[in-house]
Amino acid sequence: MSTLRLPQIGERALDLVMGIVEAPINGLERLMGRKRMPYLFLAPNLVLFGIFTFLPIAIAVGYAFTGGTELFVSDRPFVGFDNFRQLLECEDYLRPGSCRESLFWTAIWNTLWFVAFNVTATLLVALVTALILNRAIAARGFFRAIFFYPVLLSPVVIGLIWKWFLDRNGLLNALLQMLGVPPEIFLLEVGWSRFFVVVVSVWFHMGFYTLILLAGLQAIPRDLYEAAAIDAASPRRTLLRITLPLLGPNLMVVLILLMIRSVQIFDEAWVLTNGGGPGTANSFIVQYIYQMAFGSDLRLFGLASAASVLMGLVLLALTLVQLRLGRKMES
Amino acid sequence: MGNLKLENVSKAFGALTVLHDINLAIEDGKFVVFVGPSGCGKSTLLRIIAGLEDISAGGIEIGGRDVVQLSPAERKIAMVFQSYALYPHMSVRKNLAFGLENLRFKRSEIDARIMEAARMLAIEPYLDRKPRQLSGGQRQRVAIGRAIVRNPDIFLFDEPLSNLDAALRVQTRAEITRLHREIKTTMIYVTHDQVEAMTMADQIVVLNGGRIEQVGSPLELFDNPRNLFVAGFLGSPRMNMLKGKVAAIGEAGVTIDAGFGSPLTAEIDPASTKMGQAVLAGVRPAHFTLADKGLPFIAQYYESLGTETYVYGTLEGQTEQIIIHRTGHFAPGTGERLFITPAAGRMHVFDPETGLALPRAVEQRSVAHEHA
Repeated sequence: MSTLRLPQIGERALDLVMGIVEAPINGLERLMGRKRMPYLFLAPNLVLFGIFTFLPIAIAVGYAFTGGTELFVSDRPFVGFDNFRQLLECEDYLRPGSCRESLFWTAIWNTLWFVAFNVTATLLVALVTALILNRAIAARGFFRAIFFYPVLLSPVVIGLIWKWFLDRNGLLNALLQMLGVPPEIFLLEVGWSRFFVVVVSVWFHMGFYTLILLAGLQAIPRDLYEAAAIDAASPRRTLLRITLPLLGPNLMVVLILLMIRSVQIFDEAWVLTNGGGPGTANSFIVQYIYQMAFGSDLRLFGLASAASVLMGLVLLALTLVQLRLGRKMES
Repeated sequence: MGNLKLENVSKAFGALTVLHDINLAIEDGKFVVFVGPSGCGKSTLLRIIAGLEDISAGGIEIGGRDVVQLSPAERKIAMVFQSYALYPHMSVRKNLAFGLENLRFKRSEIDARIMEAARMLAIEPYLDRKPRQLSGGQRQRVAIGRAIVRNPDIFLFDEPLSNLDAALRVQTRAEITRLHREIKTTMIYVTHDQVEAMTMADQIVVLNGGRIEQVGSPLELFDNPRNLFVAGFLGSPRMNMLKGKVAAIGEAGVTIDAGFGSPLTAEIDPASTKMGQAVLAGVRPAHFTLADKGLPFIAQYYESLGTETYVYGTLEGQTEQIIIHRTGHFAPGTGERLFITPAAGRMHVFDPETGLALPRAVEQRSVAHEHA
C-alpha cells in the first residue's frame, strides 16, 4: 500500500467532500439560478453577523429612547430624546462639573486627552521602531516578533502584568528603591496614572502598527534611496522628502485605526487603574457606558445606550474616513 | 574632468568574488559601454563607480581625485537607473530639482538648468506631471534629465533601455548618442545588448565572470577579438568555429587543415604557432562565400529577413551547427549540399587550450615596424 503525503490527503478529502455536495449544490443552482447562488453562500455568515452585530445595534438604538431600570423592552417606558438631553445638557462643556451628566463629560475629556497622547505616542514609537527594523540590523525577525508579541495578549492580562509592575509594592518601586529613589504610588497619583495608561497602551498596540508601517517601508523601492544618495540628499532630507511622503498612505491608515481603537479604550485601563481611578482620572467613555448599564446596580440601560449611540456615530465617521482612504490607496 | 581610472578593483560579496582585479582607464568625454552576459559583474562595476557599492580592494580615481572614500554625491557622477527610480510623489520639475536643492543651488539657477534640460530632452510639456502620468519613454527622458541638470563629470547608465519596447529602444539609443555628442561628457553605459554596445560606444569593455576580456573600439573588437569569448559574444549570429590543425607554415600565413581536402589560409603570425597544433578557425556567418568547391555544407533550414538570409546547417558528417549569411533572397532546400569557403583575410584562429586568438601577421608586422 502506498503512503499518502499530507497535501494528497487534503486533496482526497476535498474530492470526497466535493463528491458529496456536488449533486445537492447543482440541484440548488437549478432551483435558484446561477446569479443568486453567491448570496446563498454568504447567508450563514450574514445571519451570524446579523444576530450578534446588527441586531444588538438596533436594540441599543431602541433602548436609547426608553427609560427606567427594567431589562425587557416591553417593560420600559418610551422617553423620546430624554436620555440624549440628559447627556448633552451642559452650561459649559469645558467644565464637566457644570453638566447634568458630569461623569459623562469627565469621561469624554479624559478620552479626548487619552486619544491625543496615545495616538501621538503610539504613532511616533511605531514609526521609529519600523524605521529601525527596516534597516538591515541583526536579528531583525526576532525583534519584529518581540514587538508584536504583546498584541497577542489579552487586555486583562496586560492590565494585570503592568499592575504588578506599578503597584505600591511592585517591581518598579523595588527597582527605584535599589537605586535609592524614593518610591512613588504611581497608580494612585493622577499624573502618573494617566501617564502609565498611555505607556501601557503604547506597549500593548505598537507592534501591530509597527507591522503596518514596516510593510509600507519595505514597499519603497531601494533604488529610490540610491537615487537620493546620488542626488546628495542628507539622511534627514531623505526621511522627510522620500520616506515619509511615500509612507503617507500607511501613516493615514495607522492614524485612523489608532484613533478608533483609542476612543474604545477600556479593559486594560479598567484593570490597571482599578476602575478608572484615582477618582475619575482614568474614567473613559466605554467605562462610563459599562458602569451606567451594569455597574453597582444602576441599571440605567437607556442612558448607557444613548451614550453608545453617540460614540458609535463618532466611530462611524472615523471608519468612513478610513474606508475612503483605503479605497484611495487601492486606486 | 570626466576621466576615470580603476586600479586592481576587486569586489566580493562574502565568499563570492564578483570582480577580479579590474584595471581600466577611461578618457574624458568618451562613450564607454560595459557589455557582457548576465552576472558578469558589469552592473556591480557601474555601482562601484557610482559609490553605491564599496570595493573590497583597489583604487578608483575620477578626474584625478581618489574617490574611494567619497559618497555618491561627492563623486560628481549622475546615474540613470534601469527602473528610472523617479520619485513617484514628486512632479517632473521637482524630480529634476531635488538634487540641486540638496546642493543648495540658487532658485534661479535651478530653474535655468531645468529649462535647459527640458528643452534638450523635449519634456517641457510634462514638467508639472507626476511620473505615473508619463509613458515609459517619457519617464526615461526625465531620468536622463535628472542626470543632466546635475552637470556631472560622468554619466552612468544602468541598462536604461531594457524597459522600453523595440521601436522606442532604437529611437532612444540614437537620442542618447546625440546627447553625448551635444554635451561631450564622459558616459558609461551598461548593457547586455551587443547591438547597443556596437552602435553607441567609442569604447567597449567586454566583461565575463568578473574579469575584463577585452577593451577597444567596436570595430577593433569585432575584427580582432582577443579570445573565444569576445569572438562569440560580439556579432549576431555568433561566429562559427571549425576544428582544424596547422598543416603548413609559410611566409605570409598559415595553412589550416579542417578536413574535406580543402585547406584554409589564415593570415596569422607564423611564429605564433607550430606544425600540427590543434586550432579553432573562427569565421563569421557573413564571411563565408559560396564556391564551386570548398567545405561541404549541408543546409537544414533558413531564416529570411527580406534583405538577408541566414542558413543553418552543419559541415558534412559533423554535428556542430554552422550558420552562413547571404544577402537578399536565398532558399536552399533541406539537406541541400553547398560548398562554402571563408573570405580571404577574414578568418580568426584561436588556440582551443588557452582560448586566445593567435596574432595576425599584419598586426605583428606593424608592431615590429614601430619597434624598429
